[in-house]
Amino acid sequence: MKDIFEAPPQMPLRAPDTVMRLSRMGSMFPTRLSFLRSLMRRLADEQAQVVCREWQMCAEGFGHGVFSIELGGHTYSLVAISTDLPPEMRTDRVIATAWDSAYVLFDGIPEAEDIARITANAPLQEAGRFGPRDLILSRANKSVRLFAHVVEALRAGRQPDLAMIRDVGYLMRTTAVYGNGKFGIADRAAFDTRAGLEGPFAAEMLTVWLIRHFTHALVEHVGQGTLDPAIKRHLGIGNSTGLGMAPFLVNHPVLLNNWMLVRETALARVRAVEHLSPQQIARIAVLAQRAAAHLEQWQVPDATHQARINTLREAWSHAVDFLEAEKLVGIRPLDAVMRASQSLGEDVEELMAALLIEPFGDLVDGLTECMADPYGAFAPPLSDTDALRAQMEGAFGWALDVDYGAPRNCGQFWYVSEAKMEPRLGLRFEEAGAALESPLDIGRRVHAAYAALPQRPEPVSAFLARHPEHALAVERVTLSARYPYAEIRDNLIATSCLPIDMLRCKLSFFGASKFDPKSDRWTRITLCQGAPLAEELGQGGDDWWLPVFAA
Amino acid sequence: MTRSTNEVMVLATKAARGAGAPPAQAAQFGAAAVVHLTAGRDIAALDAALAALPDGPIIELPLALTRIAESQVEGIATGVLDLAGSTLAQSYVAALSYAAALAKDGTLHLDLNRPAPRAMVQRIDISEERYTAWTAMAAALLVPESDASRLSGAGAGLTDND
Repeated sequence: MKDIFEAPPQMPLRAPDTVMRLSRMGSMFPTRLSFLRSLMRRLADEQAQVVCREWQMCAEGFGHGVFSIELGGHTYSLVAISTDLPPEMRTDRVIATAWDSAYVLFDGIPEAEDIARITANAPLQEAGRFGPRDLILSRANKSVRLFAHVVEALRAGRQPDLAMIRDVGYLMRTTAVYGNGKFGIADRAAFDTRAGLEGPFAAEMLTVWLIRHFTHALVEHVGQGTLDPAIKRHLGIGNSTGLGMAPFLVNHPVLLNNWMLVRETALARVRAVEHLSPQQIARIAVLAQRAAAHLEQWQVPDATHQARINTLREAWSHAVDFLEAEKLVGIRPLDAVMRASQSLGEDVEELMAALLIEPFGDLVDGLTECMADPYGAFAPPLSDTDALRAQMEGAFGWALDVDYGAPRNCGQFWYVSEAKMEPRLGLRFEEAGAALESPLDIGRRVHAAYAALPQRPEPVSAFLARHPEHALAVERVTLSARYPYAEIRDNLIATSCLPIDMLRCKLSFFGASKFDPKSDRWTRITLCQGAPLAEELGQGGDDWWLPVFAA
Repeated sequence: MTRSTNEVMVLATKAARGAGAPPAQAAQFGAAAVVHLTAGRDIAALDAALAALPDGPIIELPLALTRIAESQVEGIATGVLDLAGSTLAQSYVAALSYAAALAKDGTLHLDLNRPAPRAMVQRIDISEERYTAWTAMAAALLVPESDASRLSGAGAGLTDND
């Protein structure tokens, strides 16, 4: 007799019209569903061990190292190359041509010729050439001030300044983590059925965590000392991210749907919990205080964003009242908490959602298996143009009332520059290039297709035969019937569109924290902060949501 | 030199867009091109399709497949695809997201309730000459560099260091 899986009870999902707005996506926090958390749980379950197979590094820290790890019955190796980069060449922009360090996640254990090939090509990044055993390609630049400080402290026989560790939080920042066949590396589909790498960006996250391990080893090598484990644990890996990440969410609607649907389902399950145990209530209290401490330690140079963080701190001090033990004893108390949080704004709501999911791994962790997209976009066709119209009105109402001729509603355009094919955003009425616009204007396209629909119903193919330019809009509308969270329900070419909101959404799914925006289209973040160190994997260690440094 | 599947798919998609295909049809061509090349079919059919833009099979084949699919909204949709001696139609069918069965006479069955099985990923051996030609077509989409674009288009200034 087959086991019949019965899904836990859940409250209704939050509507896509609520969840898929840019401002809310730009308020998201990492959760226990984030890809890094899933990966770390897997590594801990397997009690994976990191082995240093090669370390050819001069006293100043230039050379290469190889670290291997077993996951799901396969061995993966990070080949890390550290180079002496003149300061004037150091920039995190895509248009850079040299970096402090370069990396390849290799499938298996590299032979000498593999290492020679990788050490020759990886520092070239986009200009190099890679093969099917190269799974991920990455590079990173030092946080020069912190790296130099830690080296100096270790050489002097002391630990580094704790305030600097807390405030910077990483020794290096990755500036790109390439996967899925770029520059000849392996296609994701070649390994995404392997145990441990099925999840979205799992190989990228494994790479990032190993890079963090390498940065610890490198600074200890150059500093000729050993960092305190608590300091190492708080040293994550930074990341600089620009516009390249934003089109991904538009160009992968099914993935976006699956990520958001899983997160919303997790929240709906938690909201349906009838009663909390005393242990759960106590756990929530601990997390609420940790969130407050994390917000206190979240300091950024940008005045606008710091003001937003300050507002959130203040609002959170009220939100924690909803989590007092005596208020969590009724029926479905967490649903009541989410309802109450609505009065405090999107930042509080999304922080609360992430917090409430955290203690309920048994209810939600299995959902992470549904975050990948093994089959691609798959939706039955719509019967005719009347069905198409109805679906547009149901799922794209947000796009149909916009006057796309008004300058404020079409003031920006997305494009790809000929300079290293860097994705960029331009001002339509001030810059050249709008004729080569990338098709991220989904709302405008659906609006135009809607206006062109015939009065009398006809087959969709007949409509498209006359209007092949509307095929993308028809495709997205068709998908929306099966994938309700597939579309960002905002005008991505409006002057008011802030790409940073899209970046934060995606990065929160990676597990990023400490968002540090440098503009409305560029941000630094920290990954793996508080994550278990390699030598701690056997000790569990899944409790690092919104890490706090006890400096 | 072999290329990854995604590398070729993305390039074929961009080449089609650069040659004048709308985005959705260009993406369908990119997916079909990968199937076509991994199946060892005549690459000339791909070049001919690109050359025929803004008309030709890159526009017509998706329409023909939509006509068959929309005859049902669920279950099995059946129709006849005009193969007309072109191998490209077979590649488009194999690249569909639905499970599909194409007979030699062009009869096509689409299971609208079942996704296509995942294809085995293979490296693709494509000549440098053709790769360069497609790259040139794709370059038509790139916006020339300018000082304003370089300074503000990516949002980070020219350097981002600490």
